[in-house]
Amino acid sequence: MSLLSVAGVSKHFGGVVANRRISFEVEPGELVGIIGPNGAGKSTLFEIITGFYHPDEGEVRIDGTRLTGLAPDAVCRRGVARTFQKLRPFSGLTVLENVMVGALTRHTDVRHARDRARELVRRVGLEEKAEAHARTLSTGQRKRLELARALATEPRLLLLDEVTGGVDQRTIPELVRLVRELHAGGLTLLVIEHNMRVITAVAQRIVALHLGEVIADGPPDVVARDRRVVEAYLGQAYAL
Amino acid sequence: MSGTVPAVVVFALAGLAPLVVRDAYLLDSLVLILIWGTAAAAWNVAGGYAGQVSLGHSAFFGLGAYAPALLVTRWGLSPWLGLLVGALVATTIGLVIGYLSNRLRGPYFVLATIAFSQVLLIMGSRWRGFTSGSEGIPVPFRPGFWTLGIADKRVWVWLVLVLALGAYLLQRYLDHSRRGYQLVAVREDEDAALSLGVPARWLKVAAICASAAFTATCGGLWAQYIGFVDPFYVFSVDLSVKFALAAIIGGLGTALGPFLGAALITTVETWLRAQFGGLGGGLIGIYLIVYGVALMVMVRWVPQGLVGWIGDRWRRRRMAGAAP
Repeated sequence: MSLLSVAGVSKHFGGVVANRRISFEVEPGELVGIIGPNGAGKSTLFEIITGFYHPDEGEVRIDGTRLTGLAPDAVCRRGVARTFQKLRPFSGLTVLENVMVGALTRHTDVRHARDRARELVRRVGLEEKAEAHARTLSTGQRKRLELARALATEPRLLLLDEVTGGVDQRTIPELVRLVRELHAGGLTLLVIEHNMRVITAVAQRIVALHLGEVIADGPPDVVARDRRVVEAYLGQAYAL
Repeated sequence: MSGTVPAVVVFALAGLAPLVVRDAYLLDSLVLILIWGTAAAAWNVAGGYAGQVSLGHSAFFGLGAYAPALLVTRWGLSPWLGLLVGALVATTIGLVIGYLSNRLRGPYFVLATIAFSQVLLIMGSRWRGFTSGSEGIPVPFRPGFWTLGIADKRVWVWLVLVLALGAYLLQRYLDHSRRGYQLVAVREDEDAALSLGVPARWLKVAAICASAAFTATCGGLWAQYIGFVDPFYVFSVDLSVKFALAAIIGGLGTALGPFLGAALITTVETWLRAQFGGLGGGLIGIYLIVYGVALMVMVRWVPQGLVGWIGDRWRRRRMAGAAP
């Protein structure tokens, strides 16, 4: 059985259709990319999967359990964690405390949570910043902090919104390596990514959205050459 | 400065003071400082730790003040029972305000809390048949511990100190516990907290309810101590501002800060009233101006409050000392 199943999900805001009958599955251990031009409905889809939005129709299931209708915190406790496109660290807390908040969802003992958080801070390479306030971090470091914090909730499925967005070119390879490591460790990931080169390199499968609909779903090289995908990104003139 | 040493010193001094001090004025000040400090600490639980800034906490204080006064004067019941009833009623109202906090954020929540206290003010001052309206309620003095008819101010100090310790320990719990970390996460960024599995909604409601219960108990003890309940005072916005200001000056989200802030505010206020509040004193409301200026200064230059500021200095000095 697939780990994540999105079935016929639609969402509109007033007259704007953000998602229209979106369906796809993610198998355990897969790394699936979601692509699409601005306004394609990628972020709305994330918000729906994580419980921040409720879909007008359709439903989302994790391992057969219905997520639709649950509050975001309940979705997280069922094993779905996420990062935010616009980063949202707890800026008044230290890096370690930030990660502890995630760990406390699985550990009732604060000391255990602190130990676990320390492990994860090290794993994302922020141990030197562990006691620093989150507001002092660079964008790349904040991305890694968000990753560690989400991992601390021990997700079965991790949703990453724009891993490389807003970070400088030199930092991208490090972040990509981190994502690859997580995947190699057995984690299932669903990743929104603008950078086509990055996503075709790491994803096993890509789901392409355009104007709220799924226009392609398949291996990266196939999706990247798909006529409708090229049209969506570059306009019809470039489609050969 | 999350250490407990300063707090132990402060509370020990307050507890031992009645053994040494005989001066009624000083003891009276101490009782009031402890009451306002506890109310500020209670406010801090909702406003400082959970980030649910309220300017309507006088609603809880007033309910707490009225409950024992009404129980004693109308039904001849024990004021202790009144304290309990006041705390329970305030907790129930806290549930409603907590629910609002899940619907309204930022300034809208603040406005809703102000409105709440003002509705209660109108009820208290107009519902003559039940509350005696704007005349207020004189609390009869019946000597004895169970009737809270205590003339000895030293006993009052110890009584109020117990409540103050309760509020302090609640804050310490939040400093170190799982729920405390989660609550602070909600304050910092509610959506991010939710995404990490923090049950933000009920944590906020719980914080507001605990805050309401403590504030109401303060109100109840205050009314029994002063001997009079005046709706225009106990439900006033001034009072709500006072709780908030004491917590902000002392240090938001710090356990000892509210008590420090309350000590400062109470002292300054008493002094200003004595200096400018006399006959023909056109400056009777000067303390409100001082409140305003103090608030602006703190928020602009010392947002972490006195305890936070002292803690920073101390940490910096220790670091400088540790460096070779």
